[in-house]
Amino acid sequence: MHSTLVRVQNVFGFFTTVAFSVAAIVALSVIISPQEPSASVRLRNVQVVRGRPHYYSHKKEEYAHIKFDLDTDLSTLFNWNTKQVFLYLAATYPSLKPNEPPSQAIIWDAILPSASAPWHQNHYVHPVPKNSKMKSKASSSSPYPAGEIHLTAQKPKYQITDISGKLQNRTDVVLELGWNVQPWVGALTWANYNDLGFWKGLKGGRSEPFTFPGIKRKEGDLGTAKGGEGNRGKPA
Amino acid sequence: MADQMLEKVRDAFEGQIDFEGQRLSELITTVLLGAAGIIAFIVGYINQDIYQTLWIGLAGTTLTFFAVVPPWPFYNKNPLPWLPPHNAISGLDIEVDGKRVG
Repeated sequence: MHSTLVRVQNVFGFFTTVAFSVAAIVALSVIISPQEPSASVRLRNVQVVRGRPHYYSHKKEEYAHIKFDLDTDLSTLFNWNTKQVFLYLAATYPSLKPNEPPSQAIIWDAILPSASAPWHQNHYVHPVPKNSKMKSKASSSSPYPAGEIHLTAQKPKYQITDISGKLQNRTDVVLELGWNVQPWVGALTWANYNDLGFWKGLKGGRSEPFTFPGIKRKEGDLGTAKGGEGNRGKPA
Repeated sequence: MADQMLEKVRDAFEGQIDFEGQRLSELITTVLLGAAGIIAFIVGYINQDIYQTLWIGLAGTTLTFFAVVPPWPFYNKNPLPWLPPHNAISGLDIEVDGKRVG
């Protein structure tokens, strides 16, 4: 510590140690923050249509268009170290061959920001419920607290297809809710259905099994939902 | 004249402090940074606001840099006197603990 330069090096060196230690304690502090997420997922309507993956493709594939109801209370996932929660709804169905794992495809997702996250255009904007008095509020804020979602007859963001191109009459399809809790510092955590210490497992979160119907009509506007994101339709 | 100017500039740049000052600055670094980290976590956790943790930690670090890096006068309160240079002119008159050694 005899000269300026050595003192700068010493202070900065110990600062990195302190910063790392505080970050580690912050990351561990979420373990004692209780979580009890609950969700209910219901199938509203499902259609299977034939289509092309892109305009110039000659290959015809079958696409499933799944409308759903979703009610969640994930507010306990938002502790002081949560930056955002990436929420997704996946359709899970058995593969054609029995020895292969089930197929999973995401039909809808949303980025739920915490109160501390700065505004971003990709954040999910919850639609204002009909016949409510909250219409006058600014449309950029959710009508519900963070983590609470009430959607009825929500259109999917993504129409899904299978690697085989065949989707009609597939049985035992289940809609399953999943998420990533993305913290400011610490580990990414996934949805879990088992109790772990202070963290209760997700209650509900799976729909009743259903079957993809046969194809009824050839073409039609499936009206995939536009998300709140401004970059939809543009390359990533 | 130019040599003296250069000497001053070099001293200011190097910012040397005495041994007691070095011990003190080491202690101040540890205490200030450690306290800043602990306070940052506690305040942020109580207020459930991680930005407070961030800013208190960074403010404490800035304060520590400001307190430790410049050669403040209180780091130079116990200077050790150097022996006079040993050369042909002055080298024959050195006393250490009452004994002539030069």
